[in-house]
This record gives sequence, structure tokens and C-alpha cells, in this order.
Amino acid sequence: MFEYVFRGLLSGTVYALLALPMTLLFTTAATVDFAIGAYALLAAAVATAIAGPLGIAAGLLSAVLASGVMAILFVLLKRTKGEGIRVALASFGLSLAISSIVLIVWGTKPFARQTFTTMLEFGGLRVNPQWLINLAIAGALVGLTWLVIHRTQLGRMMRAAAVNAPGAELAAIPVIGVQCATLLAGGLLGGMAGLLLMHTSGLDFTASLGLTFIGFAAAIIFGIQSPLRCLAGGLAIGVIEALAAGYTTGMVTSMVPSLFMLIVLLSGQLGASRYSGDRP
Amino acid sequence: MNFAGRRRNTLIMIAVAALACALAPLSATWLDTVILTGVFALISLSCGLSFGQAGILSMAQGGFAAIAAYTTAILATRFGLSAWASLALAMFLPAVLAWGLARMVTRMPELATALATLALATLLEVVARSWDKVTGGFVGIAGIPPVAGFEVAWRFNILVWVFVVLAVMFYENLMNSAHGRALNIVRHDRTRAMADGIAVAPLLSSMLATAGAMAGAGGWLYAHYITYMSPQSLDIHVSITALLMAVVGGAGYILGPVLGTFLLSLLGKFLPAQEAQGLFYGGALIVILVVAPQGILGWIDRLMNRERTRAPQRRAGQDEPRAAAKVAP
Repeated sequence: MFEYVFRGLLSGTVYALLALPMTLLFTTAATVDFAIGAYALLAAAVATAIAGPLGIAAGLLSAVLASGVMAILFVLLKRTKGEGIRVALASFGLSLAISSIVLIVWGTKPFARQTFTTMLEFGGLRVNPQWLINLAIAGALVGLTWLVIHRTQLGRMMRAAAVNAPGAELAAIPVIGVQCATLLAGGLLGGMAGLLLMHTSGLDFTASLGLTFIGFAAAIIFGIQSPLRCLAGGLAIGVIEALAAGYTTGMVTSMVPSLFMLIVLLSGQLGASRYSGDRP
Repeated sequence: MNFAGRRRNTLIMIAVAALACALAPLSATWLDTVILTGVFALISLSCGLSFGQAGILSMAQGGFAAIAAYTTAILATRFGLSAWASLALAMFLPAVLAWGLARMVTRMPELATALATLALATLLEVVARSWDKVTGGFVGIAGIPPVAGFEVAWRFNILVWVFVVLAVMFYENLMNSAHGRALNIVRHDRTRAMADGIAVAPLLSSMLATAGAMAGAGGWLYAHYITYMSPQSLDIHVSITALLMAVVGGAGYILGPVLGTFLLSLLGKFLPAQEAQGLFYGGALIVILVVAPQGILGWIDRLMNRERTRAPQRRAGQDEPRAAAKVAP
């Protein structure tokens, strides 16, 4: 029991990293970037192709470049009506395109790399040291994001853009710039998550949509407002997944993220008040 | 004139279907593509009805088709029921599920709806993969008998396109009816629609149920054409592909999804490799969203409107019935 919880917590840290950009983008731009998983996939694919630390840098760079494409699309789509759903659709297209590129260039082989061969012992639990690195990186990034949002000028602009975009625009805040910066940060975080996944369980070209899914589920479980809730959501999904893997069949395990998402969405966490009286 | 005006899309569809039935049998590989195009056109039409008209971005249409395909596969292989007998159930089951889903999602904003339907589609796929006793698990169900009387490919092609024509006819009738007009108001302004006395949630739910039945018909055809059904056959990528075909052609127009399906699946034949399909589809979706947000038909419509306003005297008076007949956003 304790072992499952422990493993779930460790794998949940990566999910928190995937959830973080979802939260940031949803609060600042009220849209969803379905391509987060694709950034992770791209980063992992590029990083396996180039050896050493250079590969990691190249992987992150490619993920940020891909999110740059998304930012350009976002700006282009911003001109049309009802852009939230269009941006989501376009990010779907981008995700498809990136997965296809990865499939063309690298084929169907999985992207995985083992850095540690020895395991650490923690009172009877065998733990790959990589998990501790994941924990440290994810924790640091979540903390950093929290600091940026709540303690810096940029964070204040982001929050202002989230609460009232026209008002923020009037207060000379570059709202579109802030939203594009959020998209780029999403690419960076997604790429980081992809690299961590590559060093632990590995991923292949089909992974992108599933990763986006887990990220979104983790982002909305405890409400989509704050990065700390993302961390909690990611850990919760990790733990539940590990428990389901330990005590139930594989069917239930693979259902966990989507089931969670469905339940949370149906309970009306995501802006349910929108049609209750105000004009859309 | 009135009949032709109100049934314009159906007439165009009949012409296209007749062409498809006449030309496709000339080559065996093209026949296969054209049959699958017809099946996809049905699923894509259901996306057009749910997203373009009812505003529900449903990513579960492939899932609904899969339910129908599995239903008919199980009925045919286990119980030896004839294909026509299982058609009713194959359309009824997805419709019921879609209705239930819609009752829950109509109060949500668009993005949440999209995610909820996506989650449902994933759940359906997991069930299909894991429920070994009923769906055959990863192995799937093989040996689904073809529809009696339509065993030959060119005959089946005609059957598929008859289904598409019927779907378009039903769709156009629906949009010309009071339900269709109510739907237009809901899409325009939901609060206004409520104030006008339209029961919004039941209306949207019945639309999604209709779309589910339409996708179910597509799945039924698919199962009896391929004669094999597995979790990968009509998976979540089919849902997404059908949706983007509808968006590329113009989801708000009746024939938009059919046009999008034709373009993407026929142009897709010329791709150098199967792996490039995602790149092609994704790229097409992005380009269309940026260049022509209302899809190809929306773009054509806008061009024609511009022409019309340029020469107002010459064609004044003729245009109003036409503009009304086309259900434009």
C-alpha cells in the first residue's frame, strides 16, 4: 500500500509539470493547448537523437520552437470570433502534425534512456535515483512558477490579463504578449516533462495525446486556478493510477485519467456559470 | 423553384453521389477509397451537425461509430442476425449514449464539452480494448458478414452513397424545419433562445443524438465493408479526423463535411507515405483555421457574396430565397 502511494507520488511529479502549462494558459488566455503532450514528445525525440547535455538543450529548444509556432497561430486566430475553441482545434492540428513528424523522422521506436543502473534503498523501497531528480526538478519548477505569478511584475501582468483582458489592455499591459509568453513557457515546461519521462518510463510517438490528457486532468482536479493545485492534482493522479495498477485490472488503470476528467468536468468545475444567465 | 431552392444541398449531393457511383468502379483501388470516403463522410456529417449547428464540439463521433460497428459485429457473428436487423440497434445505441452525454454537457462551456467528449471517447476505447468476452479485446472481431445483396464492392459503394444522400436530405430537412430555426437562434444567442421559449438543453441533446445515430450508420457500414472490427479501427483518431474534415470543408454548411472528406481523403491518397497523414491533416486544419475560419464553403460563400454586392442591380430580387435556403451561420 505504502509502496504504491510512494511510487504514485514520484510519477505524479511529472504529471504536475504537464498540468502547469494548462493552468497557466487557461487562466491567462481561457483556452487549452492540446499540443503540450506533443512538445514533450518532440523534446524527448530530439534529445535521444543528440547525445549528452547538448541533446537536452536541443530537446528543450525544439519544444519551445514548437510552442512558438502555436503562439504565432494564437496571434493569427486571435483576430477571429470565438477564438478559444479555434485555438484548441489548431493546437490539435499542431499536435497531429508534430506526432506525424516524429513518426516520419524517428519511426515507431520508443524514446527512453536509463541514466542510473543502481537503485537507492529507502527502508525497504527500491527507488531509481532518477525519480528523485524528477521530484527535485518538478518541485523547483512549480515553486518557481508560483513565485513568478505571485511575486513578480510579469506575474501581476499575467494575473491582470487573466482577470480582465480589456481592462489590462487599457492599463497598458501587453495582453497578447503575455499570453504568447505563457504559450512559450508551456513549451518549455512540456519539453521538460518529456525529457524527464524519457529518462524514467520512456514514451513513443503515440504518447502525445495521452500526456495532454493526463496534464489536463491533473490541472482541473483541484480547480484550475493555481500552480500549487496543479502539483496536488498531478500527485493525486499519480497516486490513484499507482493504486489502480496495484489493486485492480489494467482496464481500470488506463481509464483513470479520462474518468477523473469526466467526473470533474461533469461536476462543473470549469466555468459552469457561463450559461446560467450571463450573455455569452 | 421552391423545391429546388429548399433542397439545393440534397440535389448537389445526389449529383455527387451519382458521379461517385459511376466513376469509382473503373479502378479497384479508387473504389476502395471512394467507399471509405462515403463512410467517413457520414461520420463527418455527424460532426457538422453537432459542432457546426448545435455548437457541441464532440470528439466522440468515432466512438459512436465504433459502438455501432461493434454492435452489428457482435449481433452478426454471435447471433447470426442479418445486417439490416442490426442496423436499427446500431443507430439506436449511439443515439441513446449521445443523448445522455449531451444532457450532461449542454450546460458546459465549449472547451469543457470538447474535453468531456474526448474523455468519453477514450473511455470507450479502453472498454473496447479490455472487455475481452464481448469485444474480443485487442484481437477484435473478424468475419463480419457483408450486407446481403451488396457483397460486390461496386454495389456496396452505391449503398454507402445512398446512405450519405439520405443523411444529407434528412439534415437539410431538419435545418429547414422549426427545429433547425430554433437551433440557429441557440447558436446565435443562447439566452435569447431561452427567452423565446426554446427548450435549449433538450434541443441540443436531440441534435447530438441524431448526430450519434448518423455516426452509427457510418460505423455500421464500416463494419460490414471491412468485415473486421478492432479497437484500432474506429479509434479516437477517427473522431479527430472526422471533426477536422468537417471544419476544413465548413462545419456550418450542410455539404461542408462532405467536401472536406472528399478533399482530405482523396488528396491523402497522393501522399508519399502513410506516416505523413497526420502532418497533412494537421497542416490542413491549421491553414483552414487561419485562412478561412468558416471552412472552404464559407470562403466560397463569402466570395460569392462579394460578387453579389458588386452587381446588385443585375441580380436583385433573386437572391433572397437562395440566401435563406442555405443555412449559413
